[in-house]
Amino acid sequence: MTFIKDFINVLSASSISFLLLSSIFAFIVYFNLLDGQLRTKGGKLFLGLGIAFVLIGLFIRPLLYLGIAYLAIMFGLAHLGPRLWDRKVGKWLLIFMLAGFFVSMLDPNFFLIAAKPDNVPIGAMIFLLGIFTWIALRKAYLNDKQIAAGGIPWEKTETSEKLFVWPDLVYTEMLCMILLTIVMIVWSIVLRAPLEEAANPTSSPNPAKAPWYFLGLQEMLVYFDPWLAGVVLPTLIIVGLMAIPYIDTNPKGAGYYSFRERKWEIGIFLYGFLVLWSFLIITGTFLRGPNWNFFGPYEYWDPNKLVPLVNIDLSEFFWVSLFHMPPPRLWVIRELPGILLVVGYLSLPPLLATGPFRRFYLKMGATRYYVGAFLFLIMMALPIKMVLRWLFNLKYIVHIQEIFFNI
Amino acid sequence: MKPQEPIPHNYSMRGLNLIFALSSIGLLMATGLIVGYDYVRGWKWFQREFMRMQQERIESDLRAAQLETNKTQLADLDRRVRENEVDIARHRDQYVLAQKDLDRWEGEHYAADQDFRFAKARLDAQRYIAEASVVEKRSDGPRQLAEYKRQDRHFNDLVLRLQDVTRKRDAAKARVDVWLGKIKTEEDKRKELTASVDLLNKQLQTVQLTGPNLILNLPMLDFVNPTFKVDQVVLSDLFVDVNYMHVPRVDRCMTCHRAIDRPGFESKKEAARLTQELQQKLDSFQIAQEKRKDVEDRIAQLKRIEDAPQDTLNPWRTHPKLDLFVGSASPHPLLDFGCTACHRGQDRATEFGRAGHVPASPRMERRWASAVSTLLPGPWDYNKRHWAWEENPFNETPMYPRQYYEAGCIKCHSGQTWVDQGDEINKATSTVELYGCYACHKINNWRFTDLRRPGPDLNGIAEKTTPEWAFRWISEPHNFRSTTRMPSFFYQRNMIDPSVVPAPEREQNIRYQDAEIHSLVTYLFSKSSHRPWQPPAGAGDAGRGKQLVESVGCMACHIDSEWLKDEKSGQNRLARRDDYPLERNYGFNLTGVGTKTHAAWIYNWVKNPKNYYADAPMPSLRLTDQEAADVTAFLLTLQKPQFMTSTIRPPDPAAVHDLAKGYLVNTLSDRDAEAKLRAMPLHDQLVFLGQRSIEKYGCYSCHNIKGFEGLKPIGTELTVEGSKALHLFDFGFVHDYISAEDGKHEHIQDNVASWVYNKVRNPRIYDDKRTKTYGDKLKMPNFHLTQDEARRITMVVLGLTKDLVAPEKMAALDSRSRLMEEGRKRVSQHNCRGCHVVDGKGRAIASTIADTNFLPPDLSPEGSRAQSPWLFNFLKDPTVMKIRPWLNVRMPTFHFTDQETNTLVTFFAEEGKAAQFDTMRAMHLPAANVVIGKTVFDMLRCAQCHVMAPVDPENPPKPTVADTTSLAPNLTLAKLRLRHDWIADWIRRPNEMIPGTRMPTNFPRDAATGGFQSPLAMAIDTPQFAQYKSRLLPYFRGDEKELRRTMTDAVALTDYLRDYIWSIGINQMRAASPDGEVPTVLQPSTPATPAMPALKSGRLERVQAGRGGGR
Repeated sequence: MTFIKDFINVLSASSISFLLLSSIFAFIVYFNLLDGQLRTKGGKLFLGLGIAFVLIGLFIRPLLYLGIAYLAIMFGLAHLGPRLWDRKVGKWLLIFMLAGFFVSMLDPNFFLIAAKPDNVPIGAMIFLLGIFTWIALRKAYLNDKQIAAGGIPWEKTETSEKLFVWPDLVYTEMLCMILLTIVMIVWSIVLRAPLEEAANPTSSPNPAKAPWYFLGLQEMLVYFDPWLAGVVLPTLIIVGLMAIPYIDTNPKGAGYYSFRERKWEIGIFLYGFLVLWSFLIITGTFLRGPNWNFFGPYEYWDPNKLVPLVNIDLSEFFWVSLFHMPPPRLWVIRELPGILLVVGYLSLPPLLATGPFRRFYLKMGATRYYVGAFLFLIMMALPIKMVLRWLFNLKYIVHIQEIFFNI
Repeated sequence: MKPQEPIPHNYSMRGLNLIFALSSIGLLMATGLIVGYDYVRGWKWFQREFMRMQQERIESDLRAAQLETNKTQLADLDRRVRENEVDIARHRDQYVLAQKDLDRWEGEHYAADQDFRFAKARLDAQRYIAEASVVEKRSDGPRQLAEYKRQDRHFNDLVLRLQDVTRKRDAAKARVDVWLGKIKTEEDKRKELTASVDLLNKQLQTVQLTGPNLILNLPMLDFVNPTFKVDQVVLSDLFVDVNYMHVPRVDRCMTCHRAIDRPGFESKKEAARLTQELQQKLDSFQIAQEKRKDVEDRIAQLKRIEDAPQDTLNPWRTHPKLDLFVGSASPHPLLDFGCTACHRGQDRATEFGRAGHVPASPRMERRWASAVSTLLPGPWDYNKRHWAWEENPFNETPMYPRQYYEAGCIKCHSGQTWVDQGDEINKATSTVELYGCYACHKINNWRFTDLRRPGPDLNGIAEKTTPEWAFRWISEPHNFRSTTRMPSFFYQRNMIDPSVVPAPEREQNIRYQDAEIHSLVTYLFSKSSHRPWQPPAGAGDAGRGKQLVESVGCMACHIDSEWLKDEKSGQNRLARRDDYPLERNYGFNLTGVGTKTHAAWIYNWVKNPKNYYADAPMPSLRLTDQEAADVTAFLLTLQKPQFMTSTIRPPDPAAVHDLAKGYLVNTLSDRDAEAKLRAMPLHDQLVFLGQRSIEKYGCYSCHNIKGFEGLKPIGTELTVEGSKALHLFDFGFVHDYISAEDGKHEHIQDNVASWVYNKVRNPRIYDDKRTKTYGDKLKMPNFHLTQDEARRITMVVLGLTKDLVAPEKMAALDSRSRLMEEGRKRVSQHNCRGCHVVDGKGRAIASTIADTNFLPPDLSPEGSRAQSPWLFNFLKDPTVMKIRPWLNVRMPTFHFTDQETNTLVTFFAEEGKAAQFDTMRAMHLPAANVVIGKTVFDMLRCAQCHVMAPVDPENPPKPTVADTTSLAPNLTLAKLRLRHDWIADWIRRPNEMIPGTRMPTNFPRDAATGGFQSPLAMAIDTPQFAQYKSRLLPYFRGDEKELRRTMTDAVALTDYLRDYIWSIGINQMRAASPDGEVPTVLQPSTPATPAMPALKSGRLERVQAGRGGGR
């Protein structure tokens, strides 16, 4: 039991769990929705990734755990194949998750955090997100199968039917309202408001946490400066969401679930929403403890825990580690590698437009392509920076303290 | 038209209807849940339970009252009422006639009154019309005027009629009242008899759970005027700090603690204590005559509680000290001070868990915590003595656990040296003062500032003792003296305890600690002065020395033995500090002093400690050279040779090197540090390390060491330690441990009190299981405190909060109190209570002096007793007057500065509520008064004990000490020393001023009236007193009646006595020498002052000018 707990504790360290989640996410998308095979090129790539994790893990213990978990889940998914979308399998998956959750409640440390009244909705969110994502993807899978067989999506078959507003709509809505009211009342009575000490300007609580819906942003602050994580990125998120209808002009998939017909659109959205947003909220709620340190779900939130945190800039990597010389005084020269890297990253779209992404460029047109690609790159900057931080303790890619400009 | 095709529903309507029905019921139940949950509150259940208890109590009282009320008396009254009724019935005709008559006249009166009022209204209106028509010169003016006149006449008729009718009606009424009165008087009498029962019945109605109260308290109806409601007290001058502002406290504790201010709900234990206390007061006539009945009733009530089958449990108990707290007549009434001002806790909370209750012990904590909390509060929780208790880390002001209640005194009483009736808190603050906690831990609080350093001066240590002794002493002071206050710094738990420190680290720690002690000793001895002290000229006699030490007063501050017989086991055991009163721990334990130091040093020290160290707290007892030699000889016999046999390991050069380098690398590079150390011989390294070690351990905080002046004390500041948040205390990883002091298992609770308690008892405990470098380990030394001492110190620490109190609620803030408190602080600092009783407490020396006649004086009445000029001189130089020359114990010379002396003199004067200076001294007395006084003096045989021959105040002749009955002060000294008014007062009631005094009470109080009785009232007519009578008669113009009257007047007699004593007093004594040592020449006496008018009623007319001006 302790071994399992330790295993999960290590796996849930933000770096590991993030990598695991990202690669599993990619794998699910690739394998189950694109009907990939382990024997195909892509399948082998994933297999190789898992084996690589295990091999590196022989030297870096957490990665070994990651590799084992990764391979186990991968083989499990490969074994399940399209059966993942069977109702029965879905039901068992849910039961398995719920059982894991409630068995974990027996652990005092887990209970302390998960049963805290203000964390309960986030716990529910994990399951609700899982269930609804699964339902949507299942419907998409079924429709795709039907379309591939030359049929029409299920939703289209019922468009000719007509229903009364009363009772079919309003009645059910009212029932939902009543039931939800009951749930809210009982909830508010059973779980008391988690009052803490009086607000004190001279001593902030530890950990000091943002409201749950901002915990993703707070997590981003670990990797980026406030002007980026707090101003630019949130703005771009909103702008990007507004821009979706103008960028995504794919007429297919409207009014019915389908994955194959809009795999990039759905893939990018789900990655951004589930991994880069919801997962960070869950992490911030359950796994970030005192001093914003990382704690596994079965770890005690010890305020005295110390974690070595020595981070260095790209310029130091470049000049000190590579050339064994002190970084140049003039920041333009010192930060040249970082600046070039950033400029290079942002100039990927035109490069890709001529190469692998030519297809998109032609389909979307220049404006849509560049806006979409820019937003995508900005989105991907977050996981890239996260991984760089975990793997190389990279603090800033560009660090110009002279003008307070850091990336 | 084609009929519309039926459109199928998506869901089954039956199913939806069923869901709707069920969910509607669910919603209804949820609504009920809201109401129910809002209604079922814990405090309501407590109130309901208390009402039930009250009901029971009232019902039993009612039964008792009904039994008690004289049934026969009631029956008699009933009979008389009935007789009256019969009487009325017999004369019914007359009564009916009278009543009929009254009815008629009542009717007439109504009619007349009505006519009168109408007429008056019309008349007023007509007056206006008439006036207006005249002013407006209307034509109908005269007519209106005439009409007015007519109405006026009519009105006057009506007035007369009304008066007439009223008179007749009143007469009729009186006739009827005669009949009614007969019944009413009897009924009134009956009401009087049953008043207590009626009152109880009325009270019963308010606490009954059934009837109207039941409806008032029903859910949803209870918004109107329920009997269950939250009680609160708003305290606008006691504040809660909510960080952004201070808000008034709103205490709601009495919502559950209903009986807190109502006597009658004490626990059995408290009831027994109170009964005993009250009975004692009653028996010793301390209670005023008119209140005795109340007290007796209260005792009866308490006895009933003791005999009750069930004990009252909390929260329904009465406050155990109603006369001091909560009670409306107490100094801390509930409405002014509330509860949380003293107890702390969440003032506004009405739930057990949220109010901040703190368990007093791990056992209580287990009991509270083991009970599972339920969602709905109710009796099922209370049966477990538990009310949803949980450790609440967010409550910043949890209550003080039971054993630390008195910590709450400090926030208001911090300006007082001791608190009236606050025994525990006084002991606690005195303990902190005695151990000198304030020396290392800054406590910015009047009580703990401006105090002397607790340790001796170390600048002359080489003159006093040897390095070998010093090494062993620092290693473990307790091995030398079990009662020493010098704490153990070295070889403590976190350094050498095998269960805590692994073996290799242990060995290194021992080497390091050895090196540090060596370095301290080396530093101190190399920097010490080497003044030569002359040994005594002749050999002393140890036997005489022992007698001297035991008799001159050393024992007030010192203890002379390390061993004593345990009262429980009967075995000899090592003494602990708390075996003795605090005062006797003031000086060190004398055992082993001969091993510690040598003859020359002791000799000079006991001669005058200030020669060695100007700020030495020990005063001079003015020993002669021979006496000092004797004392020295005796002290040298107090040897402890086994202490000097323990081995001293030589310092390990490597350890010294490592430690010294550890300090050097803070400022130097490793290379430079090595080079510097290489250049230093071992001795220099030790001196360097010694200096750093003194800084590290903070030796300079307690001891005066040259070169460390002005350094900040090393401990954490404790000024607001009691308000520090729990998470700022480092609990380390320890929860349970075995205490090295007494081998007991200790559990550290998760609260500040428990942390502090375990910290002071085992200062290094929080290093257990920690991985720390040598220099980082905890350094607080071990004082080897007993549980009580540790508890008291914890109490003070908990009491040091930042809670804000409005100035008007602070104790002793007025200027008079400030003067007194400054004096009290001096009294405490100079250990006056070692010998004297001050403010009713002290005189620790009493246990060493067998005959109470030879005790130092009780100073409780000193303020109203002593004249300030005399007191000033005496304090500066006690040799200016010997009041009781036969005493062995000596008032020491403290070498007070003028300022200190003035502080003390002011304190005593203010305490006695007397002016510092008065003009009584210059008073000239009427000769008659003196003669009468002398005669009374003779009659009372005062001269049996008192001498009246004028003497040299410095060296009065000693009376025969064997005859203790003759030991009384020479009265010629009284005029210089005593306050004029005090003398008469003293003669009247010596035993009240100083209980147990040898001065006989000549004028006993009358138990009934409390007045003084004179023994001479009867005696004056006896034959034995005939000569006195004849001597006195001329002064009363031969009026025997007047003489007898005077002889019964104790006040007049004592005033005469005073005048006589005043007349024989000497007028001058020598002034105190400025440094308090050498006597100077006597001044010639001054001539007598002009005559004063003779007194009339035996009471001297006061000279008012001198009063009230001496502040």
